[in-house]
Amino acid sequence: MLDDVRPLVAIDNLRVEFQGEEGPIVGVEDVSFTIAPGETLCVVGESGSGKSVTSLSLMRLVEFGGGRITGGRLEFASAAGVIDVAGADDATMRAIRGKEIGMIFQEPMTSLNPVFTIERQMTDGLRMHMGLSGEAARARALELLKQVRIPEPERRLKQYPHELSGGMRQRVVIAMAMACKPRLLIADEPTTALDVTIQAEILSLINRLKRETGMAVLFITHDMAVVAQVADRVVVMCQGKLVEEGPVEQIFASPKQDYTRALLAAVPRLGEMRGKSAPEPMRLIGDEADVRAPLLPQAPEPLLEVSNLTTRYPVKGGLIRRTVANVHAVEDVSFTINKGETLALVGESGCGKSSCGRSILRLSEPTSGTVLLDKCDIIGLSARDLRRAWRDMQMVFQDPFASLNPYMRLREQVAEPLRNFGLAKGSEVEDRVAGLFDRVHLPRSFMSRFPHELSGGQRQRVAIARALAVRPKLIIADESVSALDVSVQAQVLNLMMELQAELGVSFLFISHDMAVVERVSHRVGVMYRGRLVEIGSRAQVFETPRHEYTRTLLSAVPIADPTRRTIGDDLNFRPIPSPVFPLGHEPGPSEYDEVAPGHLVLKDTMT
Amino acid sequence: MSYILNRILSMLLTLFLISAITFAVTNILPGDVAMMIMGTQSNPEALAGLRESLGLNDPLLVQYGRWIGGMLTGDWGTSLVFKEPIAPLLLQKMTASGLIVLFSMSIALICAVPLGVWAAVHPNRWQDTASSSAALLGVSLPDFFWGIMMILLFARGLHWLPSSGFVDPGEDLLLAFRHALLPSLALGLGLMAHLTRMTRATMTGILNQEFIRVARAKGLGERTVVWRYGLANAVGPVMTVAGLQVGYLFGSIIVIESLFNYTGMGWLTYQALLNRDIPLIQASVFVIAAVVMLANLIVDLLYVLVDPRIRLS
Repeated sequence: MLDDVRPLVAIDNLRVEFQGEEGPIVGVEDVSFTIAPGETLCVVGESGSGKSVTSLSLMRLVEFGGGRITGGRLEFASAAGVIDVAGADDATMRAIRGKEIGMIFQEPMTSLNPVFTIERQMTDGLRMHMGLSGEAARARALELLKQVRIPEPERRLKQYPHELSGGMRQRVVIAMAMACKPRLLIADEPTTALDVTIQAEILSLINRLKRETGMAVLFITHDMAVVAQVADRVVVMCQGKLVEEGPVEQIFASPKQDYTRALLAAVPRLGEMRGKSAPEPMRLIGDEADVRAPLLPQAPEPLLEVSNLTTRYPVKGGLIRRTVANVHAVEDVSFTINKGETLALVGESGCGKSSCGRSILRLSEPTSGTVLLDKCDIIGLSARDLRRAWRDMQMVFQDPFASLNPYMRLREQVAEPLRNFGLAKGSEVEDRVAGLFDRVHLPRSFMSRFPHELSGGQRQRVAIARALAVRPKLIIADESVSALDVSVQAQVLNLMMELQAELGVSFLFISHDMAVVERVSHRVGVMYRGRLVEIGSRAQVFETPRHEYTRTLLSAVPIADPTRRTIGDDLNFRPIPSPVFPLGHEPGPSEYDEVAPGHLVLKDTMT
Repeated sequence: MSYILNRILSMLLTLFLISAITFAVTNILPGDVAMMIMGTQSNPEALAGLRESLGLNDPLLVQYGRWIGGMLTGDWGTSLVFKEPIAPLLLQKMTASGLIVLFSMSIALICAVPLGVWAAVHPNRWQDTASSSAALLGVSLPDFFWGIMMILLFARGLHWLPSSGFVDPGEDLLLAFRHALLPSLALGLGLMAHLTRMTRATMTGILNQEFIRVARAKGLGERTVVWRYGLANAVGPVMTVAGLQVGYLFGSIIVIESLFNYTGMGWLTYQALLNRDIPLIQASVFVIAAVVMLANLIVDLLYVLVDPRIRLS
């Protein structure tokens, strides 16, 4: 039926080149697809797949990034007739940009000009494209803000971007893109930088706007779960080429290409672990090696015992930089991790999960509470003894680009902890480092390389090897797979589970990604405003969530299955209140109801 | 409001420290005020008497207290070389120097901002190379070199402008400008080079930001995108660097004013140093420090106007 309709966009054999040091580099080639009016087409792929280049080409914005369209046609059915974007002159392009094609980008924090008011940024497009007067443009901007459900729209117009939250800014950017009622909205990773509840809100907003206005949406994302929730049709891209194209149900149910199959296999799906007692490695296509699933020892033996941990950061102000308030980052948190077990801490940004991990290592000094690692009181240790205690607990950070020293060979970086703790000397160091590279499945030839010569996933393996060097009992993994592409993420997760099975190491796995957490953890703690609101076994928290916040969080997670669409039409979650409190504010202790053995839920009065 | 108060208080504290350091350093320097007054051939008893009457035998702390007390009450003492009260002398010379400092800063900003933006808009193209090379040449050569070149070209060669001297703007405004122009140009060239590089770097960063892409995606023309959306974000950082350069300018005028025989603060300070006119050295260092700090305070307060993220709290 759709075939009868003239396509809104017809891309034919697109080729984009970038000027490299040694001649042109191909960014995208042989890409052809169409977008029908009113449909949502998702272009999905991992980093470097050319998905953003394709969308920027459609606006001819790729030239501002040093790219050039060197072949193919990009036909767009504008109000004035079909034009070829690839060959259009600048004036034509300016008339199309913002008027017939709206675009939203990944980073709401930087998408708005920080020194102009919201009103000025919303109205300049309207004045130019629609010839509206100042008064009329203002009225339309107000109408748009109401359409994207921003509270107190009149006040927002006078505000500057920094006065708005991330979710609110992304709504403003969407309102701006919608200003001139475009026929096509290009959304380039519009929810990647957002928390999961805000992601759900934005996705439902785009869905609703699309239905109300009949515009088509070109949705660029790396996230298969988001694709499953919003797409009508899907284009899969890899390394600048189109791999597969088809209706969303077909792509998910019966993908034709190996790459698509591998991509789908690497995506953890929320709910697929139902009924399983222990974490399970991902089944990766092309990597059939049997990875042992971590099992729990028969008699649980506590390794890390955290009680009443509280961490507050001072807010300084005034002439002599006095402390004027406190950020209550971690508020009376208690939990235990057993030997060989993974406890996951999940929550949205600012909930205190990272501060909690850092406080356990005393990288941030806790305000009060006790931390026992194998019965050793970490909080009471002197600086020298603390250093020794770090042998037993290591950390793997989020950004493998920033956590490795760019000026040191990888061999040296992995050997450093061995030398620091005097664990090996002379040729033994080399042997141990080589063993660690084997352990994390990196070729030994990488030992003499520098970090920039490795991919993101390989670097994260090096970071894990470095943490393993001292044979720790506990590894704190703070968003360690969040910056990685899904296929790489799956490999690193499997590696962590394999290490747990073989070495019996415990993990404190800090993450915002519910689906990943469901896959890797034995037990789960949900954090909200510095407190642990619910903790229990994975099955307890995921299958019978009891706290309201846990339910909200779970309902917001997109599921990588187009037959289970959970993104409604008009979601509006409660914003998370500020964790800054005046000096001397003493919130009560965390009190829990034990709803099942080991399943604790924070009493309602606390949040 | 409390931000301004804060800044003024910290400025006063810094000024106090500067006064103490200047006073201490000038007292360590070789040279004796009494001997400077009476000459090297004077009789030792008379010298000792003068020392006593000037209070030079008092403990240093007492002398400092007396000096700072005088500075605060407007009694800045008398210059040993010029035999004049210091306060009106400094006021007059500061006006002269203020003229070329403002003049050179304006010239530098007027040229540097467009050049820097132009280079940033065409990264790694000939426009960028040209602007960067010119800027590098400007910062590599000292101010007095440009001063000499300008005297040779505009004064000696073309006879367009006078090569030296100072005229009070109160007497003849046009003539005062003609005399101030060459020293200002000589000062402004190095400054311009520095500010061009700074503007280019700032604008390059800004033009790569997402909100610039958003502005283009709205269909705004390149001129609006660069000169409105982009430049509005660069004003603050460029202004801050320009403010910091005021301090550098007051260092440079010592050479430039002497070269052009332009009798401003730089020339005065140089004379004071040359003749060990200690009261004058102390007072002029203090005044220069105060002016430089005031300039930076003004810049910081203006920052609030150009960047809504900075609040006066």
